[in-house]
Amino acid sequence: MAESTAGMPQTAADGLKRILTRYGLVILIVAFLAFFSVMNPVFLQGGNLLNIVEGSAILLIVALGMTLIVATGGIDLSVGIALDFGAAFAVVAMKDYGADWYVAALIGIAGGSIVGMLNAVLVVGLRVSPFLATLGTFFIGSSVQRIFTDGGGPISYRRMPEEFRNLAVGDIFGIPTEVVVAAVVCIIYYIVMERSIISRRVHALGMQRSAATVAGLKVNKYLILCFIAASMTCAIGGLIAAANIRMFTPLSGFAYLLDAIAAVFIGAALHPRGRPNVLGTLVAVLFLGVITNGLNLMGLNFNTKDALSGIILVSVLALAVAQRKLR
Amino acid sequence: MSRVISAFERIDLRALSGAAPLVIFVGMLLFIGVNAPNFLTWNTAQLVLNQSVPVVVVCLGLAVVVMAGGDDVVSGGIDLSIPATAVLCAGIIAQQVTLAENPLVVGIAFALAAALVIGVLNGLLVTRFGMTPLLTSLAMFVAIVGVNNVVTASRRINIDSPLILFLRDARIIGVPAAVLATLVVAAAFVFLIHRTKWGLNLQASGGNKDAAEISGLKPTQYLFGAFVLSAFAGFLASFFLLARGSGSSPGTEDNLLLEMVLATFLGASFSPRRVVTVWGAVLGAVLVAALSIGFTSMGVNVFWTGLIKGTLILVVVALGAVSTRAK
Repeated sequence: MAESTAGMPQTAADGLKRILTRYGLVILIVAFLAFFSVMNPVFLQGGNLLNIVEGSAILLIVALGMTLIVATGGIDLSVGIALDFGAAFAVVAMKDYGADWYVAALIGIAGGSIVGMLNAVLVVGLRVSPFLATLGTFFIGSSVQRIFTDGGGPISYRRMPEEFRNLAVGDIFGIPTEVVVAAVVCIIYYIVMERSIISRRVHALGMQRSAATVAGLKVNKYLILCFIAASMTCAIGGLIAAANIRMFTPLSGFAYLLDAIAAVFIGAALHPRGRPNVLGTLVAVLFLGVITNGLNLMGLNFNTKDALSGIILVSVLALAVAQRKLR
Repeated sequence: MSRVISAFERIDLRALSGAAPLVIFVGMLLFIGVNAPNFLTWNTAQLVLNQSVPVVVVCLGLAVVVMAGGDDVVSGGIDLSIPATAVLCAGIIAQQVTLAENPLVVGIAFALAAALVIGVLNGLLVTRFGMTPLLTSLAMFVAIVGVNNVVTASRRINIDSPLILFLRDARIIGVPAAVLATLVVAAAFVFLIHRTKWGLNLQASGGNKDAAEISGLKPTQYLFGAFVLSAFAGFLASFFLLARGSGSSPGTEDNLLLEMVLATFLGASFSPRRVVTVWGAVLGAVLVAALSIGFTSMGVNVFWTGLIKGTLILVVVALGAVSTRAK
């Protein structure tokens, strides 16, 4: 029934409804782009667009990790902790142990994976629900950072190796390194999560875990790997953050949590079957970047900007979900 | 024969893990009492109760939503926006009374209106638009905090209106007025949820949505009501926040959010069926406050409290998971 009306729009109203429910969010994104360019001509200039992409790199990396976990049917509230750990391990490795930049980067990623391992133990080993398990990890991880830094002071390393610093400020063939890193991570996620046998298995265990188990899928193995992979991904974001400000700031990763969750769910709303997916997350992250940048350019008061972006976030999420429901 | 024995073992395991959370708590409190001689006194008890009052009130709201929506954290009922609502209401009252120099009643009216708008919005987004409560209330949290920053210009506002001072300082037969007021609120919630037809229907909708629907209830209607009630709880909590801090301070919501989730889900582990209950949430909130103050009076570094709380939630929740499996 729904199939037939969707195939052959009977009236203009039907056709309009079909377009709105399928492309409503895309239309909204374009409308925002148009609005911001009218408000401030600087918005559409190449330099500013590059700013948006550059500013979205870390969020994209974190949101991709979140996409993986949400695809398995869970949620990860500890992405920020994995990001902090990545930054902390890398900075300390270079500052106190004189590690080379690539060794430090690997140590940072390994440090982030501790968070994923803890989550995996709790979720797979002890069967705690992902929400509460990662909330516990969040508490513990935040506290560990406070203890380690004697209350949350940053660990600064002004003389960090140029190569590491270039993760955030350098460029490869004229493209900022962080954009290249984010793009590489994004392509790897796209291949693994959309174009491989692994993707089928991850989505299978996210949608129907018992069916996946009956079908002989090693559910636990995949869950463990997903949690570890997600935390390592977030740690890469941490490396870029640390390189950018040449220090490790405790608890700074928390700022990405809500935006990452929002991006995953807006992205899922763009998917025909409402599943979390890599391209949707990419579009959603860029959209959030556009909103932040556009509101900045409008020269609003900091508090007003904060409130507006919060309200826009709620509205867009509501629209995204409603659009999927009406389809 | 072997079947009988294994059945006995199962009962033992269940009974053991069922009592464990309370045993752990009482054990920890006794341990603190031995190490910090002043801890087990009426003075400390008053301090603990006074500290936990705002948390208790927001926990009441969360408990109602969880009971109406089911206790699956991701797809069931949860309202993370209550602490933000409480802070916004406190901000509105303080702004109206101190900065705009309006009578207290005006501030209260505005705050109540704001809380009801939030409750209705939450309810609409969840029941009409079909957004998951977790996502809705998380996004609403951000939006409300943004609005509060506009209302208060991100500044602390003192308040010295008689009602707030009464809640802060007065004692009735030796018991702090705020504690008595909270007891009344809690009793009202318990009566509403456990002793009225509406409350029992609400519990039925959350316990088994399909069964409730078949027997003629409208579960979404009760979930909607629960969201309005939880926002109202946020409104009530704002008075205790104002009294505890002698004014409104932005930023209180983060800690309140973490404590609320911790207390409510810890509370579930005290109930025989491991479901969220109103009294369980109250007990959880008081015990968490007692531990925080206890560790501080023992001279434990304040940076460690997050680690202890995080471990606690995981131990108790994991025990709950073990006992559910034992069933």
